[in-house]
Amino acid sequence: MAPWLATGLIYASALALTAGGITLLYMSTRTFNFAHASMATLGFYVVYSGAVLGGGVPYKYFPLAFLVGGVLGVICYYGLNRPLLRRGAVEITLMMSTLGYDLILLSVIQMYCDYLTFSRKLFPRRVSMNVFDFELFGVNAASVILPLVAIVFLTGLHLFLVKTKFGVAMRATIENPVLAGASGINSDRVYMSAWIIGGGMAALGGAAMSMAVTGTPVLGMNSIPFMFAGAILGGLHSLYGGILGGFVVGLTEYAGVFYLSQKFGPWVLGYRMGVPLLLMAATLLIFPRGLAGIPWAVLFGNLAGIAGKKRGAKA
Amino acid sequence: MITEQSRNSKNILGLFLKGEVITTVAILVVLTYFLVSRGLPMVLTIIIDFAVFAIVTMSLNLETGFTGIPQFGRVLAVIAGAFAVGAIPGRIMAASMGLPWGLKYAKDSIHYQISPELTQVLANSWVFSLLFLIFCVTIAAASGAGIGWLTSRPAIRLKEAYLGISLLAFGDFFMWVGHNWEPLVGGSTAVYVPDPFRIFGGGRFQAVVIVIFLVAMLVYAYLNRLTSSPFGRSLKMIRDNEVSAAAAGKDITRIRTQSLVIGSMLAGVAGGLYVIYTGTVTAMGYSRLVWTFWPWAFMMLGGIGSTTGVLLGVMVLTIMRTMITVYRFQLFGFLMAWGINPLWLEYTLMGAVIIGVILFLPHGLVPEKVQPMLPAGRVKKLFSGGMAAKPR
Repeated sequence: MAPWLATGLIYASALALTAGGITLLYMSTRTFNFAHASMATLGFYVVYSGAVLGGGVPYKYFPLAFLVGGVLGVICYYGLNRPLLRRGAVEITLMMSTLGYDLILLSVIQMYCDYLTFSRKLFPRRVSMNVFDFELFGVNAASVILPLVAIVFLTGLHLFLVKTKFGVAMRATIENPVLAGASGINSDRVYMSAWIIGGGMAALGGAAMSMAVTGTPVLGMNSIPFMFAGAILGGLHSLYGGILGGFVVGLTEYAGVFYLSQKFGPWVLGYRMGVPLLLMAATLLIFPRGLAGIPWAVLFGNLAGIAGKKRGAKA
Repeated sequence: MITEQSRNSKNILGLFLKGEVITTVAILVVLTYFLVSRGLPMVLTIIIDFAVFAIVTMSLNLETGFTGIPQFGRVLAVIAGAFAVGAIPGRIMAASMGLPWGLKYAKDSIHYQISPELTQVLANSWVFSLLFLIFCVTIAAASGAGIGWLTSRPAIRLKEAYLGISLLAFGDFFMWVGHNWEPLVGGSTAVYVPDPFRIFGGGRFQAVVIVIFLVAMLVYAYLNRLTSSPFGRSLKMIRDNEVSAAAAGKDITRIRTQSLVIGSMLAGVAGGLYVIYTGTVTAMGYSRLVWTFWPWAFMMLGGIGSTTGVLLGVMVLTIMRTMITVYRFQLFGFLMAWGINPLWLEYTLMGAVIIGVILFLPHGLVPEKVQPMLPAGRVKKLFSGGMAAKPR
C-alpha cells in the first residue's frame, strides 16, 4: 500500500467518525456541534497521555478516549443543550452555545499541555503518534487497524440503530419527536445517548486522526471545517450520508491533493484545505441537500440504500 | 431570531440584573482605574483594541443582528482588507519609484531592503502620507465589499446553518492561501506596510489611536443612521419574517446582498486599519478564533441587534482581556505552580461569557429596542376613529 494511500485511509476514517458524530447530533438535537473540535483534540490527548504515561500500544486507550468523549457530551447535554432545547432556542443559539463550550475545553487542553510540559517534561504541543505505532504486514499498524476500528464501530452503530429496541426508539425520535413522545419514548434519554455516541465518535475520530497528522492542541480546531464539510456533503439528514461524506472529504484531501501535486508540483500540498472546501461548495451549489439529497434511486436504482436511506428518493 | 427565544424564556437571573448596564459601567470604572494607573500606553492599547474590534463587531451585528445572516466568516472580509493593504499600496509605491514590485515584492530578502525606502518617502511628506492613508482605507473597503459581494452569491441560495459553515470554511481557506502563496503577503513571513503615521515621529502611537477611534465613531454614527432608516427597517423585517417581507414587496435577495456588502466593507476597513496600526501583515495572524469568534462573543454580550450594546460589549470584554494579560501573575499566579500560563484564561473567559450570556442574559446587556412603526396613541386613535382617521 502506498504511504499516501495508507495515511489517506486513516485520515478518511477519522473524518468519517467525526462527521458522523456531527450529523447524528444535528439530526437529533438540531445542534451544530462546534465542541466537536476540542472533543476530538481531547480524545487525542487521552490516547497520547495513555501511551506516554501508561505505556503500551496506543490502541488500547481508544475505548478510554471514547468514554471521555461520551462524558464530555453528557456534560454538554445537561449543562447547555437541554436547557436551551426546552426553551425552544433557535439553531444559531444552539450552535453558539457549543462554541462557548469549545472555547472552555480548548483552554483546558492548553493548560493541560502546559502542565505536561512543565511537570512531566514532555513535549505535547507537536506530537507524532507514529512513534508509538508498530508494524503490521509491512505497513504501519495504524493504516490497518484504524479503518477496521471505524468499520467495526460504524457497523456496531448501524446494528444498534436497526436491531435494538432503544436504537429503533432513537431513530423514531429523530424522525418525528412528537409522535415518538406520544408513543411513550423518553426523548430526554434519546438525546442524552445521542450526545454520548456523538461525543464518543468525536474523541475516537480525534484519536484516529492523530495517527495520520501531527497532533497539536489545535488539531481539532484546524480540522473542524473538514468535519463540517463532511457532514454537509452528507446532507445532514442521514447518518450514513454524514459518514460517507466525511470519508469522501478525507480521501479527496489526501489522495486528490497527492494526485494533483504529482501533476503540478509540490506547491499544491499547501492548498490541501481548498480541495474539499471547493468540493463542498460545488456540492452545495449543485445539490443543496448534499450527497443524501441526490436522487440516487433514480440514478442507480438499488444503490439508494447506501447513501440516502431515508430521504434520498424524495429530494 | 432573538425575539422568538425571549418569549419562551423566563430568565430568573435577568430579574436580579435589572440594572445590568449600571452594574457593568460600575465594574468598568473600577477596572479602568486599575489599568489607567499603569500609564498612558495601556490606555491607548485598550482604546485601539476597542476601536478595531468595535468596527468588526458592529459590521457583524449589521449582518447577523439586523439581517439574520449567520456570519461565521467575519474573518474573511477582515482578511480581504488586511491583505489588500499589505499587498497593493506598497507595490504601487515601489513600482512608481522603480523598485522591484511584481511577485518579488513580498519575498522577504528583497522586501526587507525596499520597505524602509518606501516608509522614508512617506515620512517626509504630509501630502503623501495623507493620500496614502486615504488610499489604504479605500482599497480595504473596496476589497472587503468585493468579497462580501462574492460571498453573497451562495448566501442567496443556502439555508441558515449551511451558509454559516460555508462562510467559516472559506474564511479559513483564505487564511491558508495567504500563508502559502508568498507573493501575496509574504506567506509565513511578515510583509511591512509603509507607515503613513511615521511623519508624527514620537507621537505616532497617539495619532494612530485618535484616527482609528474617530473612524470607529464614524462607523457607529453611520450604522445608527442606516439601521433607523427605511433600509434598516426592511433588514429587520427580513430577519423576523422572510415571507411577510416578501409579501410586502421587499426584494429579499437584493437587501441581503446589500447588507452583506456593507458589513463586509466595514470589516475590510477594520482589517486595513489594523494593518496600518501594526505596520505588518502575517497571514496566520488572521485566525477564525480572534476575528470571527471573539466578535461573536462581544456581540452576544452587548446585545444582538443593538449597535450601542455592541459598543458596550466590546468595551467590557476588551478591558477584561487586558486585565488578564496585565495582571496575570498577580491574580492567577497560583497557576504558575503547575507551569500553566494564565493567558489561556482568556479563552476560558470568552467561552464562559458566551455560555453565560446564552443561558442567563439572552438579550445581552442592552437589549434591542422594539420600535413600533406608529406610536401607541396614534394606533389607538386609528382604531377608535375607524377608517375616518387619516391614513398615513
